[in-house]
This record gives sequence, structure tokens and C-alpha cells, in this order.
Amino acid sequence: MKKINRKFVIVASLSLVLILAVLLWAAETQKTSPAAKKIATFKYQDLVWQVPQVGKEVKRVELKNGIIVYLKEDHTLPLFNVQVLINTGAVYEPAQKAGLAQLTGTVLRTGGTKSLKPDEINQKLEYMAGSVETSIGTEAGRASLSILSKDTDEGLKLLADILRNPTFNKDKLQLVKDQLKEQIRRRNDTPGSIINREFYKTIYGDHPYGRSLEWDNIKSITQKELAGFHQKYFQPHQIMLGISGDFKEAKILQKLEKVFGDWQKKEMDYPSKPKVEKKFKPGIYFIEKEINQSNIMLGHLGSDLNNPDQYALSLMNFILGGGSFSSRLTSRVRSDEGLAYSVGSSFPFTTQDLGVFFASCQTKTKSTCRALSYMLDEIKMIRENLVTEEELNTAKDAYINNFVFRFTTTEQIVGLLMGLEYDKRPADYYKNYLDNIRKVSAKDVLRVAQQYLHPEALTIYVVGHKADFDESLEELGKVTEIALVPPQVD
Amino acid sequence: MKKSFRVYVAVSLLIIFSSLLWAGEFKLDVQEHTLKNGLQLLMVEKHTAPVVSCVIRFKVGSVDEEPGITGTSHLLEHMLFKGTKNIGTWNYEAEVSLMKEIDKTAAEMEKEEKRLQNPLAGGDEPKLKQLREKLRELQQKQKKFILKDELWETYMRNGGSGLNASTSEDGTQYFVSLPSNRLEMWAYIESDRMREPVLREFYSERDVVFEERRLRTDTQPLGKLWEQFAATAFTAHPYGWPVVGWASDISTVKREQVQEYFRRHYSPNNCVIAIVGDINPKEVVRLVEKYFGDIPPQPTPEAVFTSEPEQQGERRIEVQFDANPQMLIGYHTPQAGHPDTYVLDVISSILSRGRTSRYYKNLVEAKKIALNVNASSYQSRYPDLFTIQATPLAPHTTQELEEEIYTELEKLKTEPVSQWELEKTRNQLEADFTRSLNSNTGLAFQLTNYDAVTGSWKFMLTLKEERKKVTPEEIMRVAQKYFNKANRTVATLVKTKTESKPTSFVPEKKLSD
Repeated sequence: MKKINRKFVIVASLSLVLILAVLLWAAETQKTSPAAKKIATFKYQDLVWQVPQVGKEVKRVELKNGIIVYLKEDHTLPLFNVQVLINTGAVYEPAQKAGLAQLTGTVLRTGGTKSLKPDEINQKLEYMAGSVETSIGTEAGRASLSILSKDTDEGLKLLADILRNPTFNKDKLQLVKDQLKEQIRRRNDTPGSIINREFYKTIYGDHPYGRSLEWDNIKSITQKELAGFHQKYFQPHQIMLGISGDFKEAKILQKLEKVFGDWQKKEMDYPSKPKVEKKFKPGIYFIEKEINQSNIMLGHLGSDLNNPDQYALSLMNFILGGGSFSSRLTSRVRSDEGLAYSVGSSFPFTTQDLGVFFASCQTKTKSTCRALSYMLDEIKMIRENLVTEEELNTAKDAYINNFVFRFTTTEQIVGLLMGLEYDKRPADYYKNYLDNIRKVSAKDVLRVAQQYLHPEALTIYVVGHKADFDESLEELGKVTEIALVPPQVD
Repeated sequence: MKKSFRVYVAVSLLIIFSSLLWAGEFKLDVQEHTLKNGLQLLMVEKHTAPVVSCVIRFKVGSVDEEPGITGTSHLLEHMLFKGTKNIGTWNYEAEVSLMKEIDKTAAEMEKEEKRLQNPLAGGDEPKLKQLREKLRELQQKQKKFILKDELWETYMRNGGSGLNASTSEDGTQYFVSLPSNRLEMWAYIESDRMREPVLREFYSERDVVFEERRLRTDTQPLGKLWEQFAATAFTAHPYGWPVVGWASDISTVKREQVQEYFRRHYSPNNCVIAIVGDINPKEVVRLVEKYFGDIPPQPTPEAVFTSEPEQQGERRIEVQFDANPQMLIGYHTPQAGHPDTYVLDVISSILSRGRTSRYYKNLVEAKKIALNVNASSYQSRYPDLFTIQATPLAPHTTQELEEEIYTELEKLKTEPVSQWELEKTRNQLEADFTRSLNSNTGLAFQLTNYDAVTGSWKFMLTLKEERKKVTPEEIMRVAQKYFNKANRTVATLVKTKTESKPTSFVPEKKLSD
């Protein structure tokens, strides 16, 4: 008996092993494409490159008046570039003067300087086939100089003059105001511009991150206010220069001293930045527009740029909807169902305060609710189950192998490293980036999905022609209809 | 037969480039190699980063289509991401019969839909529903054998950057940048899809393209205006139909038709490849020979027969849209390489490039009549248009703006442009050329584009030199020749209330609904 039994057991377990082996083999080999087998035989030589670092590939120097300079020489082409970061932004403008920062950033370049009329600046730059551009965004002021290296001296002189001695010519200010007015007048002409504006407004309320320009605020902004805003924030110790291209380090530092060196700093206190209120704005919002394709955008507050979970979150978002065809949203809504050309999600880490996680798509009117329900589905599902090892590996491989493309030009490299300091990220952020990506497990992805995605708290926006929807939006919950009022421009 | 063309050893060009080339370390050294099957390969070595940009340009675009299948070049571009017998499937044999049945069912469905749309035919609604379900079942069956978007995923996993493709009137290009050690993978994938793609998931992708049309044309005022404008300016030549295709064509084109279109136009002798970056040209040639070398050549497709007849008077249209006014103006102009096109290129630059340009200074800044005005000229395979796109600044109207636009064109006919404007333009041409060498991808695009349109990448150099030679007298002559009312098409976008918008005549019935 015993013998027989044992024999039986052995046979049984053997056959089990066999069946398992056959199954595994089948899974391994049959569901692999001939291409994958072929590609697996390719041998790739190691890619020789280093993540650039300050103090090694890129030099960092501080001028006496506090201007911080990042430099990297590159003599490949006779080009010379400067990127400038100025510690300012719309976050510092008063709410009733919304637009002041943007206007200052624009007229800074177009409004002339103490020694040069607006036309003279344009003529000099365009004759040299160079450019100086300036802007002030939500959390940073930016300027750039791009010029042939033979014109470096003249280019630097113009850049410094524009940054230091702008006069904000009244006519040029009026021109920009009139142009912004026209843009406001046109802001309901395309569904994309409607949904973007309203979505961020709902999520951020009055916070500068969600502000849209209003004629009522802009029309009263004066030349004096621009000059005041400039004087306050454009201080040498609040400015960083990123220099790249065809130059010699020692010489360029002398030249910088010459045009920026006598710029004296004035100590000033920054106003406190308004905080983003950590409150979700769940709801379904609908805007009627008679078009044959609905625009859908849904999301909620996400993360600031210093979040240690950003690696797991980036991989999670890649799998959900950031990795285009390698993501679930694209695979299902576009590739499987043919419901959209553009569909995906984003989980950015670019703002000092909380950013926004969002997913969006455009689909024909008749599939509005179907596409929306698939999107909601996928957001729920990634919180419920572990992502597969294959999904995680694809996402990791993409991040790892693509990383080199962040550092392909000298201009990119200087800009990124300088940006780290401006954003107060650790200097070894890029050096450790891939290790942080490699460390992420499927469990981490699940944890961050559960912690950061809140399907019940989504702000859902739909712009489209309701009468022809496949189902009523009300099926998903209470709908708030927002009337598309003609923009106020008088 | 490997040719290497080095710009800086050509004596005539040496003089022109000397000041430029001595300044930087990089020399534009384009190495050419042509395979026995006619495939043309252009290579530029640039070792500034361990990356490489690859562009394959097929000499086929919407201009090569015909009525009934407009949009096929673009649809095919989408389909070429669906894989081959080797990519995107683990059991191709099992897919074959399913795809045949899917095609059959889709064709029956379409017949039924046509019948339902025709009030005299009387269609069978339940039958249509049945067919729809059957199609869906078949698609689900095939899905079991498909490895979803494997081509895309393979590139992504290997660090592919900027992976995409694009279609224009004149050509179709497939592009990706890769870490430079991944070139063999690129050669394998691209040669496989050039040889024999499998147009799987055809009907759902057709729907995707329809969504792209809605996104870019139907819901965009400027997109709609361009489409109607081109259709008015060209009465006979295929530049008149949209690259994305007419709505009815997109929703009815068959898989077999797209397959046939591929067979006719996608051959090694009808394309050009550019590889720019951290490469060893010998190794690139070896890989391209190995993977593309045995793809059989085909007869070169015929050029477009139809020529646009001379325009006999101004054409004006209005497009009603729920948006603020904009306008497009176009004048018929010759094809790439015609001496007048270089002059037109310079004119467009003088009119609207930068803040010192005439349209910006006079219409945007001084008169404040326009939000923007952009003049463009093109180097195209067939005679094309010189276009002016303009947005009025309220309270000014498109009529006022139009008058001012013509005033500037008249000035070009009667007053020689200043020496300063010409010198500025020449300086910009040189600097543009230098900057164009900065980006691997940008350079690969230019090389393949000029090669495909004109027969040689060297047109990139010709263009710069010919434009630099343009004189004030030539500008007057060319302005007088082309900027005439009889040669003009004007399209204006007119704001309407949504209520009064007429309903579409083309019912939007989609197969996979």
C-alpha cells in the first residue's frame, strides 16, 4: 500500500510539475512575438555618459553682487545662449492686479530702455539674427538671449540693459493690453481653452495657480505699477544666469562683470505667497457648446515638486495614462475602443505648492459618457489592484533608457541644473533620480495610487453638446451647468 | 556605391561657409549611401551626446490620393504602428481568417448603413445591430492574439524619445530618437514594417482618425477655415483636399484600399532615411544593408497628373463658426526650385518675421488693426500658395485688415525694399542654417524633406544661397507677378450664433459604435 501510495504520489507530483512546466512554457513562448524573441538577442554596448553635476560638467560661480552663474562651454557651433531665472512670479501680484506680473514680463522686452527705444532694440537684435525674450510666469521670471557667438558682447549688453534699465513705454503697454483684451475676447472660441480655464479655476479658486486674465483687472494696470514690480524683484542677488555655447569661461566672467557688476542689490522682503487650500472640489460641471466632439477633463489637487513619493507617482501615472500607448487609458479609450485621438493623464511635480493630477480626452458627442466612464474606471482600478510586473518594468525601462534625453544639449544641461537651485531641489536630484525610480515596487505604486488618487473627489468637466450625448451626465451624479458668458472686454 | 558628400571640401561652398565653419567645431558632413533596391540613406555624425535621431520619409502624402480615399496616407501612417507578422502578435496565422471576416462584416455593415441613410432604400435596423455585435465579437476574438501596441512599447522600453509620425500633402515621415546603442533594434523594426505591415485593429483606428479630424478641424475655427480655404483655392489639384481626409472618406475607406495604397507607395526606392547623431557611418551602413537590403524595389509611383488651371478671378468664401473673425488669403505660386519661390520666401520674411517686419510694425504695432499677421511661402512638390493668415483686433474688421494687407503688398510692387531689410534677412538665413545644425532631429527632418521634395538634400544649401541672392528688383517683379486679384483666394471666418448653424449633410455614423 505504502509503496503504491508513494509511487502514486510521485507520479502525481511529477505530472503536476510537467503540467506547470508546460503551462509556463506556453505562457513564456507562445505569447511572445517573433520580434520580441529577435530583439532579445541584440546586444547593446554600454552607453557612455554621466549625469551632469554642478562642480564637474557645469561650473557655478557667484558674482560679487550676488548673481549666480552656471556655465558650460560647447564649441560645437558658433552660438551663444543665456537663460535667466528671476526670483519673482504672479504669486506675488495682488489679486485685484492679476496680470501685473505677465504684463511686466512682456513690456520689459518691448518697452525700451533708458538708452534705447523699443524699435532700436528690435532692429539691433534682428539684424544680428539674435533674440532676447522675457516673461514672468506663476513662479518664475525668465529671460533668454540667443545670438551668434561673434555677437556675444553686443548681445550681453542688450540683455543686461533690458533687465536693468527698462522704461515700460506707455504705448507698448497699451498695445499689450489691447492684445490681451483681444485674446480674452476670443477665449471661448475653442473648447480646449474653455475647459482648461474653467477646470483650473474650479480647483484653485482664487489662488494664482488658477487665475485667468480678466479685462477688469488688466485695464487699470499702469506703467508705474510695472516699473514698481520690476524694481522690487529684479535684484542681482535674486537672479541666476545659465550660460552655454561657444565662449571661454574666464573671458565671459569678465564680460558679465562688465555689464552686470555695478548692479547694486537692495535688500527687500518678499510678500508671503498665498497657500493652496488643501480642499478637493468634487463635482460634475458641464458647459454647453454646439460641437461634434466633447472635451473631458477630470482631476484634483496633486503634489508639489518636493514630494519623495514622486518616483512611485510618476511610474503610477505612466501606467495609468502618462505612457501614451503603453498606458491603460490610451490602450483602452483609444486603441481598443477608438473613442479618442488624444487621451491620457498627468501628475506633474513642477510647482512649489500643490499641482494638479488630471486626465483628459476628446471624444465624439455620442460616446461622451462611455469614454468618461472608462476613464473613471481606470482611475479606480489602479487603486484596487497591484500593477503587473510587466507594466512596472515597462514604465521603469522607459524612464531609465529615456533619461539621457534630458541632457542632450549644453543648453538643456545648464538649464536643468540651474533650475534645481531655483526650485530648491537637492543638487544630487538628477544623480539619484534613476536609483529612486529603480527602487519603486508594485506595492509602492498601489500605495501612492490609494494615497493620492481620489475618484470620489474628482472635479469633472465636460464641454460639449448635451442633447446628443449617449447618456445623461446625471447618471454619474449631480451636474452643475456653467453658462458660457461672453467675456467682459469693455 | 557609397558616396560621401562633404560640404566643406566643395570649393564653391568653402568660400561661403568659411566664416561660419571656422567658428564652430562641427562641420555639416552628410554621407550618402544608396542600397541596390534604391533605398537612400543620409548620415551625419555628431558625437555631442550618446543619442541618435532617425527619420524615414516616404515620398507619399495626401497629394498622391484620389477622390474617395482622401486621408488614406494619414490613416496608413496610423496603421503602421499596429505591427507586422512579427510585431504585435503571438499568433499571426490565427489572425488572418479573423481579419478577413472582420472586413466582410464591416463591408456588410456599411451597405446596411448606406441603405438606412437613403430614404428610398429602406434599411434594416435590427440587421445592422446584429452586424455591429458580430463585428465586436470578431474584434474581441482577434484581440486574444494581439500583443497591444508592441511596436510603441518596444521603442518606449528602449528609451525612444519623440516617437511619432506625421503626414503632410507631400510626404509621410516616421521618426524616433534613441540612445545610440539601440540602432539595430530600430533597423529591425523599421525594415519589418516597411516590408509588410499588418493592418490589424483597422476599424477602431479609423474611428481614432475621425476623432483626430474632429479635434483639429471640426471644433477648431482656424482648422475649419484652412480646410475650406484650400478647397476653394484648388479646384482641380489634390492640394485642395485635407490631409486628414474628408469626413465621408475616412468613415468608409476599406482595409483593402489602404493595403493597396501601401503596396503602391511604400517601397525602399520611394523613401529616404536620415540618421543623425552619435553614429559610426560604416556600422549604420552595415545595419541598414542587413535589414533593409532584401526589401524588393517597386515601380516608382506616377507623379500627380492633374495641374491646377490658371485662376481666372478672385474667389471669396465665408465660413460660419461660433468664433471671432479670422482670415486667410492665398496666391498661387510655383513649385519648389522655381526661381520665383526664393524671392517669395524672402518676401514672407520681410513681411512677417519678427518685430521689425512690415506687417508687425505697421498693422500690429502702429495701426493696431491686427492681433497677428503671418505670411508664408512653401517649397512644395507641386505649385502651391503664398498664404497670409491674419486675425483682426476689434473693433477693426476683417475688411479693414484685408485692405491694409493689400496696401503692404502694393508697396512691394512699387518701392524697392531697403538694403537694411535684405541684409537682415541674409543674416537670419545664415543664422537659421547654423541653428538648424543644433538639433539632431531638426537636421534629420530637413535632410529628408529636401531630399524627398527636390531629389537632393543639398537643396538645403541651395535654398540658403538662392535666397541670399534675392535683389530689390526681383522682389518688385515677383510681387507684381503673383499678388494680383485674379490670382487670389480669400476666406473669412464669420461669427455665427450657434442656433443658426445649419446641420451637417453628412451623417456621422461610425462602424464600431
